[in-house]
Amino acid sequence: MIAATAALNEMQTPAVPPKVLNARNLSKRFGHIQALENAAIELEAGEIRAVCGENGAGKSTLVKILTGILQSDTGNIEIDGRAVHIKSPRDSQEVGLNLVSQELSICPDLSVLDNIWLGSIEVPMFHRKKAFRNRARKTLEMLGAAHIDLDQPAAKLSTGERQIVEIARMLGRDTRILILDEPTATLSDSEIERVMQALKALKREGHAILYITHRLSEVFEICDTVTVMRNGREVLAANVSDLDRKALIEAMLGRPFEEMYPTHKPASGEAAALRIANLNIPGAVDKLNLVVPRGQIVCLTGQVGSGAEDVVHAVAGMLVEAEGDISVNGRRLQPGFPEKAKKLGIRFVSGDRAEEGIFIGLSVTDNLVATRLDARGLAGVLSPGALKKEAARLAEKIRFDRRRLASVASTLSGGNQQKLAFGRCIDHGKPGVIVMIEPTRGIDVGARAEIYQLMRDFCDQGYGLLIASTDFSEVLGIGDRIVTLYRGKVVQTYHAGQVTMPQIVADVTHPVMS
Amino acid sequence: MTSQLDWLWPSPSTLFRWCIVVALAVFAVTTPGFLSPTSLRSLLSTASLVGCVAVGMTFVTMSGNIMSFSLGASLSATTVVFVWLLPYGAAAAVTGALLFGAGINAVQGLVIGYFRANPIIVSMAAFALILGVFTMLTGGRGIYITTNDAEIFNTNFSFVPGPLMAFAACALVGQAILRFTRFGRQVFLLGSNPRAALAAGMEPWRTVTWAYALAGLFTTVTAVLIASRYGSGDLQHGTGFEYQAISAVLVGGTAIQGGNGSVLRTFIGTMLIAIFKAVLILRGFSIELQQLLIGVVVLLVIMLQWRAGDLK
Amino acid sequence: MSAFLKNRNARAFLLLAVIALALGILGGPQIFSGRTMFSILQQFAVLGPVALALGLTMVIRHFDLSVAGMLGLAGCIAVLCGAGNPLFGIALAVGFGAVFGALQGAIITTLRLSSIGVTLGGLLILNGLAYVITGNRELGYPRPDVAQFIDATLGDVLSFRALVAIAIFAVIGLVMSRTRLGRDIIASGSDPAAAAIAGVPVKSITILVMTFSGAAAALAGGLLSFSLTTASPTALADVLVPAAAAAIIGGVSLSGGRGHPIGIAGGVLVLCLLRSGLSALNVEPYVHGITVGFVLAMVGLLDSTDLERRLINLRRAFARPRPS
Repeated sequence: MIAATAALNEMQTPAVPPKVLNARNLSKRFGHIQALENAAIELEAGEIRAVCGENGAGKSTLVKILTGILQSDTGNIEIDGRAVHIKSPRDSQEVGLNLVSQELSICPDLSVLDNIWLGSIEVPMFHRKKAFRNRARKTLEMLGAAHIDLDQPAAKLSTGERQIVEIARMLGRDTRILILDEPTATLSDSEIERVMQALKALKREGHAILYITHRLSEVFEICDTVTVMRNGREVLAANVSDLDRKALIEAMLGRPFEEMYPTHKPASGEAAALRIANLNIPGAVDKLNLVVPRGQIVCLTGQVGSGAEDVVHAVAGMLVEAEGDISVNGRRLQPGFPEKAKKLGIRFVSGDRAEEGIFIGLSVTDNLVATRLDARGLAGVLSPGALKKEAARLAEKIRFDRRRLASVASTLSGGNQQKLAFGRCIDHGKPGVIVMIEPTRGIDVGARAEIYQLMRDFCDQGYGLLIASTDFSEVLGIGDRIVTLYRGKVVQTYHAGQVTMPQIVADVTHPVMS
Repeated sequence: MTSQLDWLWPSPSTLFRWCIVVALAVFAVTTPGFLSPTSLRSLLSTASLVGCVAVGMTFVTMSGNIMSFSLGASLSATTVVFVWLLPYGAAAAVTGALLFGAGINAVQGLVIGYFRANPIIVSMAAFALILGVFTMLTGGRGIYITTNDAEIFNTNFSFVPGPLMAFAACALVGQAILRFTRFGRQVFLLGSNPRAALAAGMEPWRTVTWAYALAGLFTTVTAVLIASRYGSGDLQHGTGFEYQAISAVLVGGTAIQGGNGSVLRTFIGTMLIAIFKAVLILRGFSIELQQLLIGVVVLLVIMLQWRAGDLK
Repeated sequence: MSAFLKNRNARAFLLLAVIALALGILGGPQIFSGRTMFSILQQFAVLGPVALALGLTMVIRHFDLSVAGMLGLAGCIAVLCGAGNPLFGIALAVGFGAVFGALQGAIITTLRLSSIGVTLGGLLILNGLAYVITGNRELGYPRPDVAQFIDATLGDVLSFRALVAIAIFAVIGLVMSRTRLGRDIIASGSDPAAAAIAGVPVKSITILVMTFSGAAAALAGGLLSFSLTTASPTALADVLVPAAAAAIIGGVSLSGGRGHPIGIAGGVLVLCLLRSGLSALNVEPYVHGITVGFVLAMVGLLDSTDLERRLINLRRAFARPRPS
């Protein structure tokens, strides 16, 4: 009786309705790195909130915690005023919280229809129901993708189409809160326009949307509020109408980036260390031409899927389907032979350290000498003493603590692991070419500065560096030349100082192709 | 920061392993009759025959290819080849057997390394092919040594049984190859992270081919010893050796996903299993129960590797 | 027609037709007598469920080595405990298979271990258990009536035992094609991380498939021992290679996400037809072994990860002059 009265009172005084989403004090630590520190996020019905920040600002960690892929160390999440514990993606779906993730979660062996309903808690055990088929069709139509055949395997879809299917999956579910993690990175303009329309429709129906994006124009087009994150912390939460572009960019960067990057005077008119002509990689890169002069850093930048990473993999000899002329110091490279690429003086440093960078269970010494085993010893017999000495010499060059040479690589921080990869690049002979993908991904600020200094050291010795990076401020800070890419094509080539962040963002999202 | 002191603070799984070793040692020494020369000698001889194959298997496991299902079949076939070649002299027979053993395994390594075919499927196919072809060639019957050319492989060195000497030599050579050669280091790199090996400019297929060739080579040592011991080449000789060998490798503590281990560990693993068996026999446990308990030990050792997998 | 050729499930049936044609040419039409058909289906009754068990674990990117041990041990359990009531013996064997499979699945998922390692340990344990419960002897089964019942011909070519195997295939086929569970199984193997993000309970599915794997292998083993009226711990060790071969010929991919009971059934039939056909032609049994090995090697090569890359490599290395 009392409870009923209380409920009645509550209904009569609609003072402050609880937020749809209210997350407080979320923190998460990975080993040495504090990925998220006391982050907070709020959402009301019908609100679209943008979450902005540089790479590594903690956006992805936040999303993964909200959707149950990761568990936070501290903090609590409330939905409609009720505390919820989200321990798995299933839990998150049950409270009506759904994610369109940046790493696509499409299963290539399933049909489009099955992918749209995959993981949905609505689907009964016998799932081939007409109703689901119709709803899937309607959702695709709403996204302007009626041309996608529901019965074809998802493996046949293009990246853009997969993204659409991924969005369709979440629209099909009973959603209170929709999280989109850079959903438009791989879409064409007309596809983006349809996604925007769909989001506006959802907003009108009272859904709350968390929109993570790099594209400032989208923030101003569809978002009501914005949260800016930096180094795992929330640094700004405001109404979009109270901000202008400049204020937003300043909030994202936060620090003067001159201090981070070593000053340099690029050698001018040097001979080409690396020359790429007419590089074709089916489905990724189209007739690309590029020159990396000795002693300079060339940055390739674009959104996810722009082809920058493929160019680097091709130069490292890891893509056999690449075709075109790649030459290092005037000597031609046959694509698809990593060993030959190494002999020509190409070294590869990857930001995906676990996957293609570090031998995680082996010692620092083993990691450092991995590329120079063939230069030592008689008839394949190696002297451990000589290897240790060599490792010590390399460690000194990359300013790595020599006392830790026997440590296992898995115990090192990301920054130190990456230094090992650089140590491998030091060569005896003529300086060659170092190619990199996201060299500072997941590395904290202090270690970054050291790595940038290492890069400059290599330049001073006459190496040519080619970096594929999606971190625009890094590109602006370190690049002597900046090449913007859009869908496998070069948009523009800039010299250092000739380009600003908004121009790069414009180039890689809405290029004016010549 | 604490790296110099790491060895003072072994990980729980290392600690657990040492506990097992110490417990087993105490258990063994207090078992009456364990230290009698006859029981020790026969025990060591049998274990050594498995041991040589296990040394070979170590290279396959370390290079990231889990295990070879064809080493038992390869062992059987090599005993036959050895007996065939014996009329041309012991030296020729051994050389021929070594070449044959290394060859049929190197072909598998080449297919696995170059095309990155699945090692399980390839070695299973090789198992069926080797046994099929050799049944065709021998009619499925054992062939017998009629001369005493092979006697030299049956000699014991005073107290030390011949197979143990061979096993110790194999283990030493194997360990030296793994530790002190370029190939050995590459096996580590490849087993640890094949994609990173490629990114560092290695061509993994050469290493994989050599790893399998070595597996065949060390298996041949056992083949020669067995053929000489039983005076015959027979397709039954190697049955089950692949499972016994991988058990020894894993009990020694080499990681099943590769990249972490050593031949020395395999040596220890072989010895641990042998001692375990001997103790069980002497304490009156049945042969049947041994099989079961060894299975349990292998599973427990594999379960100990969970921390290593968790780091990824 | 081209759609048919591209379908991985069809691969096995195409091979089946080719082999049938070859056997027909070599041995004349009398080779396909009711007797041969019966013998093919009798073999199907053993190899079928084991291949399906192994195949389904391959679909979810695992590999259950322990099916070989389970087949043998389940036979021993069924014979030991089924003397009074055969149903009780079979139920006990299948129950044990399910529990053991579930246990292995739980170890794999909670400790995040490679399934090959865990099931290798499982295989050794099952083998050991078979030795222990039989005391390393061949056990006789004192119920010839049971053997007669499960092997009696039903309509010329079928037996009760074959019917059970076919029923398993039908049920699992239905599950894979028609149910959410089947879809989730494919998803778990196709891309486990993506499936987990989408909300598929990948861990539970792994345990479930491992449970089925143990139970199916146990059922086949139990019925086989009833049929032979004996069980011994060593006799059944050679089932792993044909089971893997059948699954792979049937279109199951070791990289997961691909494979269907219909295809696996086709793969099993290929091997059974080969064996029965060759023995009807009075060919030595080793020819069968060689053929299986050869087919397995070929399919393994065709499915290898780097085949395309290496073919391009080889073409380039030989077609163009080497760069200076």
